[in-house]
Amino acid sequence: MKTLILGLGNPILSDDGVGNRIAQELGNRISSQDITVEETSMSGLSLLDLLVGYDRAIIVDAIQTTNGKAGQIYRLTPEAFNDTRHASSPHDVNFATALELGHRIGMPMPGQITIYAVEVADTSNFSEKCTPKVRKAIPKCVNMILSELNENH
Amino acid sequence: MASCKATDAVFHVDPPPAGKKLREAFYCAHYIHSHIAHFYALAAPDFVMGPTSDPAQRNILGVISKVGLQIGGEVIKHRAYAQSIQASIAGKATHPVGGVPGGMSKPITEEQRKDFEEKAKSCVEFSKFSLKLFNDVVLSNKDYLNLITGPIYTMKSYYMGMVDSNNKVNFYEGDIRVVDPEGKEVAKFKPAQYLEYIAEHTEPWSYLKFPFLKKVGWKGFVEGKDSGIYRVSPLARLNVADGMATPLAQAEYDKLFKTLGGKPAHATLAFHWARLVELLYASERLLELCKDKEITDPKVRTIPTATPDEGVGIVEAPRGTLIHHYQTDKNGILTKANLIVATAHNYPAMQMSIKKAAQGLIKKTKDVQEGLLNMVEMAFRAYDPCSACATHTLPGQMPLEVVIYNSRGEVIETLSQNLR
Repeated sequence: MKTLILGLGNPILSDDGVGNRIAQELGNRISSQDITVEETSMSGLSLLDLLVGYDRAIIVDAIQTTNGKAGQIYRLTPEAFNDTRHASSPHDVNFATALELGHRIGMPMPGQITIYAVEVADTSNFSEKCTPKVRKAIPKCVNMILSELNENH
Repeated sequence: MASCKATDAVFHVDPPPAGKKLREAFYCAHYIHSHIAHFYALAAPDFVMGPTSDPAQRNILGVISKVGLQIGGEVIKHRAYAQSIQASIAGKATHPVGGVPGGMSKPITEEQRKDFEEKAKSCVEFSKFSLKLFNDVVLSNKDYLNLITGPIYTMKSYYMGMVDSNNKVNFYEGDIRVVDPEGKEVAKFKPAQYLEYIAEHTEPWSYLKFPFLKKVGWKGFVEGKDSGIYRVSPLARLNVADGMATPLAQAEYDKLFKTLGGKPAHATLAFHWARLVELLYASERLLELCKDKEITDPKVRTIPTATPDEGVGIVEAPRGTLIHHYQTDKNGILTKANLIVATAHNYPAMQMSIKKAAQGLIKKTKDVQEGLLNMVEMAFRAYDPCSACATHTLPGQMPLEVVIYNSRGEVIETLSQNLR
């Protein structure tokens, strides 16, 4: 199964880069030719270009929820984001809309998309390091993704 | 690209012709993907689906359902073409790494040039199609044309933009020209002179500054010739220029001003139309550059020899004039930076456009519906602002609240979306 692991984030914006850090760690530990590990700071329609052609995608990103605690890890599916089709930014469409667009126009989108989201604390200050609780979540999330890859291999 | 030009100025170095052409080709490709995304994902839903239509349908998915799935494929294809050209020239489409003081980090091959040329040809055709779609869906609809030219989305201001030596629109290099609300040139300056022409006002309620024309002065949030508020945008660029430097875009430029009643045009919603005229210009210019064999010249960089100190770089970003001003120590390490981005230039005008739309749409005898929120949003979305644009947002939201008061200052109704 041709798999893409995609870490999303801004690597110089503290916890916002947690997806990048997890992707880097996975890139160091995975040697399968069927698995591609990438990082990006892009969003919206640009994500479509990256997802096309894979059977499965695992997306890793930072998340901020109302009552979440820094370092919590959520395993989500795209359906979790279906409640909004409204523009998330005046520049681009949101993730759910981009995915739906890809499906509707017949692009070869991954049949299976899983999202690992790490609850973050600081996405405002410039830093190449995550805050301590988020840093601790990185190896946990890496192991969760490796387990999922092993189970489905 | 502004930072490339600012570092050229800091190091007192001028890129060789192939370096400049590669940068401009990269930048035209950037315009193509940015303008396509803005028009189809953010502007078209209001016109194809209707400004007060069901918000569940008023998005790019609704648009492609109505105009055809094939169009959706063409949108994605041409965005991808443009981004592939950017990545091919400068390593990555977003956060590119090809620009260095004095030029570019690597040349392109003849094979790359041919590939770009084919993609640029396709982009020209897609741009023509997009303008036809705008004509068929928007301009042929009297209600939409009235909405664009009507008072609630009109604002008389100064305009600023870059022009070449023939006063034609240029995104990459030239002088900055300013025209007054009647279209008369009131300033034309080199990038390094920007502080003589632009000052910034502050308000206690915002951390973003409010730029204004220094020689006219800050007179508050008011329109007209006596107010130093100016706008940058695709339409501002067309307003300050004497025309477009490519033939097909020139014909569309003429049509735009003829339809809107002459120059300058003050219709904020016509920013979208101007964006499509620029999409065609960017595609034609990209094609011109890709047909020029000099673009494959291996000499793409002039190695700097002077001691770095200070420099200003200005380009036209898709949403307006972008200024980078750097000071460095003698080793080229940055000691001070000042950036004025398009959203900042437009920030005073955006406040006024929002207020004007809200005041024009809220009537005593009229029920206030959800569509009002979108029609207020349309007033600032036309500026394609960056202020809410985080690096990435999975679920995404754009909070907006309209509070309606009666003449005694009492709240009589509140409409909101996506408030936390």
